Amino acid sequence: MAEATSIKAKNEQGYWAFVNKQFRKKKTAVISLYIVIVLALIAVFAPFLANEKPLVCKFKGETFFPVLKDIAVGFGIGEFQPQFQNVDWKNLQYDMVVFPPVPYLPMNQDDNNIHSKGPFDEQNVPSARWKHWFGTDELGRDVLSGMIHGTKIAMTVGIVSMLIASVIGILLGSLAGFYGDENFQVSRVRLWGNILFLFFAFFYSFGTRSYDITDALGRGLGEGFVQLGISILIFAAVMVVGNLLVIPLKNISFLGKQVAVPFDLIIMRVIEVLNSIPTLFLILLIISIVRKPNLYVIMGIIGLTGWTGIARFIRAELLKVRNLEYIEAANSLGYSNAHILFKHAIPNALSPVLISIAFGIAGAILTESTLSFLGLGPADTVTWGQLLSYARQIPQAWWLAIFPGFAIFITVTTFNLIGDGLTDAMDPRLKQ
Amino acid sequence: MKPVEAEVKTGKTESGKKFFFTKISFPLFGYILKRVLIFIPTLFIISLLTFILIAAAPGDPAETMLSRSSAEGQASDKLATERSYRELRHKLGLDLPVFYFAFSNSAQSDTLIRIPTKNHREMLDRMVYTYGNWPQIETYYHQLKNLEFSIIATKKDSINTNALIELRNTAAKTLIHHEDVVLAGLYADLKAQAASASNLTEIQTKAAATEAAYNKVKAEATVWKRYVPAIQWSGTHNQYHRWLFGAAKWFGTETDPTLGRGFIRGDYGISFFTKRPVKSVIWDGLWITMLISILVIIIEYVISIPLGISLAVRKGSTYDSSVTVALFLTYSLPVFWIGTMAIFFLCSPDYVEIFPPFGLGDAVWEDGFFYKLGDLAYHLALPLIIASYASFAYLSRQMRGSMLTVLGADYIRTARAKGLPENKVIWKHAFRNSLLPIITIFASFFPALIGGSIILEFLFTIPGLGQITYAAVIQKDYPMILTNTMFAAILTLVGYLVSDILYAVVDPRISYSKK
Repeated sequence: MAEATSIKAKNEQGYWAFVNKQFRKKKTAVISLYIVIVLALIAVFAPFLANEKPLVCKFKGETFFPVLKDIAVGFGIGEFQPQFQNVDWKNLQYDMVVFPPVPYLPMNQDDNNIHSKGPFDEQNVPSARWKHWFGTDELGRDVLSGMIHGTKIAMTVGIVSMLIASVIGILLGSLAGFYGDENFQVSRVRLWGNILFLFFAFFYSFGTRSYDITDALGRGLGEGFVQLGISILIFAAVMVVGNLLVIPLKNISFLGKQVAVPFDLIIMRVIEVLNSIPTLFLILLIISIVRKPNLYVIMGIIGLTGWTGIARFIRAELLKVRNLEYIEAANSLGYSNAHILFKHAIPNALSPVLISIAFGIAGAILTESTLSFLGLGPADTVTWGQLLSYARQIPQAWWLAIFPGFAIFITVTTFNLIGDGLTDAMDPRLKQ
Repeated sequence: MKPVEAEVKTGKTESGKKFFFTKISFPLFGYILKRVLIFIPTLFIISLLTFILIAAAPGDPAETMLSRSSAEGQASDKLATERSYRELRHKLGLDLPVFYFAFSNSAQSDTLIRIPTKNHREMLDRMVYTYGNWPQIETYYHQLKNLEFSIIATKKDSINTNALIELRNTAAKTLIHHEDVVLAGLYADLKAQAASASNLTEIQTKAAATEAAYNKVKAEATVWKRYVPAIQWSGTHNQYHRWLFGAAKWFGTETDPTLGRGFIRGDYGISFFTKRPVKSVIWDGLWITMLISILVIIIEYVISIPLGISLAVRKGSTYDSSVTVALFLTYSLPVFWIGTMAIFFLCSPDYVEIFPPFGLGDAVWEDGFFYKLGDLAYHLALPLIIASYASFAYLSRQMRGSMLTVLGADYIRTARAKGLPENKVIWKHAFRNSLLPIITIFASFFPALIGGSIILEFLFTIPGLGQITYAAVIQKDYPMILTNTMFAAILTLVGYLVSDILYAVVDPRISYSKK
């Protein structure tokens, strides 16, 4: 057994080593990977790179780390020092102070530099330390700071929404590809019973508790999650009880007859319907019914509308995989279908999905910035698309037209190039 | 997507052509018919999906449409407002159940939706949730409305003015609260305020009656009803049916506009924002978006097919590698960025002014055909360039790839081996086969173009489908959004169909007779 594991490990290492080697051959892809790492670092360290608060300061004989404190408070550890409440950080009498490279928050309005001052315009700043290197917008907000904090938003949206899309896409795509229309057999009573129980479970867990959940969510996220948890438990309990009730009924020959669940048919129909509505129309439709789209809502919407590509990808891959010998071998060894699907089939079909995830992240970032550009993005943060949209209102502010758009372009391109590199690296058939 | 199958083609091209036109064309029509028939359920599901999504939207359209400024006015004003509000809700069909049936619990009632005011509906829904006895709650609501009306209708004099103002506020609060603690306080207030003036005995008795009705709701609570599932059947008398099929007779000259003729009979409802029929707005927009999309597709294919082929033929040259990189970068350039920059630098008097920054021009056809055409071309030039560049880059890359695959096939080697000139090899043997994957891409292009129309038309302020949709989303104009989404879906499905037909025209091996 130990030997088998080590062989398996070696083989897997072999595959990934091969992919790695192929990937490294493509210079553009490698450079893109480095750029993405830099972008990710900018995103993570955004509060240290652009902040109104000092990184370190000595104030009245005491040393403080205001930015770190900010983050700690954000995580719920500690509280703000009373002497720093509602202060103008810029004009305090420090004994010693180190400000971040960009000493502004994206929301800070520099009253001395309103009406969009450009990088080459004369700016009303005390010294070069306080210069707005990428200019300001109409309200005097620093563009560079907005771009640094926008990196965080773009990366978060790209990764989280693709995570949502991947989970849905992999699950539904593998169900469709592995089971097809015939391979998932259950007894009639179980099939119809489960549809019925699903209704009951939903009714008792969410239908009858709707106001309990919304009220709890309104009081706070913690209480909301407790109520949601209770609902999920009820849901599971109803399903379990229902499936236990089915067992004796299976002995009746009519009810016990095995029927196939046409997963492939159903899932492909769903994909077809979703693909028939242009994505931007679908997203706009959903946004129109949301009261205030915040970042989470936007990520959710992009994720929920973006899974079809991944699902089709993994379905096609599993259609190939399921006829291979090792699946047959696993079958003849008596493993359950679910075991084969999750332990053997999906892991082997997964690597090509990485490609569509890379392209998907690029697409998600593009969608988010498009929405922000249209003024329909998250209202509570500064994003690249939002900055770019200001350029439409101020015909002289070329810096607003160029810099944020360039950031979007670089990010989207690098993810596309990585996707391209992965395609070449993982699919030797496409090598030319 | 179909894999590229570079098989040896049997038979001569001429005979192949003949074969296609004589034998395949007939089953092809059958195939098209079948595809169109498949559209119907797909469109049906899309209509369901969009309609139900929109029905879940918060806010009351009727409330937004009527400016309810007279809430503080006289009793007659208030009554008039309520009546017009109720009539508007009826006209829009908002007092109907949403769908043919609804899963709910046995405590809920289908008459709740007829209560006109949204806040009151929410309050009543909460009460049903807490107490589960709709008949008692309905009685209570009528008592409360009655009380409110008496307060408004009572003549103000020197004794009761203050009391009446207070009573009115308290009654309004009572109508939106369901919490027992709050209500207890509100009823104490009501009674105290009614007692504060000597000539308000009628209101005093009504307040007492309302409180009694409220106590009855609490005393006769049937909370268990909430845990009994129920199916409410509303028949064809529902919002969805009315929107899709209309309530007017199919073969009659019904002129009552409130009945509606339904989406499938070309009646798309009334815009919440402009209060005009959606139909009058949408056709112009549709025409513009279709025109732009078709032009863009023609431009893209005309440029990218020769470009892709030239790249494939000169594979490995500096020309190939540099153009390929350029194409990749072009493909990644966000349209809204390039569009903004183009407007910024090419349409502005501050920099270069070559193109007009927005609109489709104000020339009309009466000014002369060529004048109008020229004006249109002048205004469309930049939008067309901006709309085409990204997918043109993508298409060229695909064309290059597919041409390379075909050029590597055995039959091309055979053709070359038998001494055919290179020109003939490429255009006669490789070209047609290399087109197949490009045509499959068409199916994904069309929806992308329709979706992209939102950005393009937003950028250049072109009054097309995208711009209308965008405006409708901002204004929460749901009938408009619904109709636009349906049309976007229909256009997409037509795009899929066209790509299927093109596929058959290019590749006669594909048989549609058995599928």
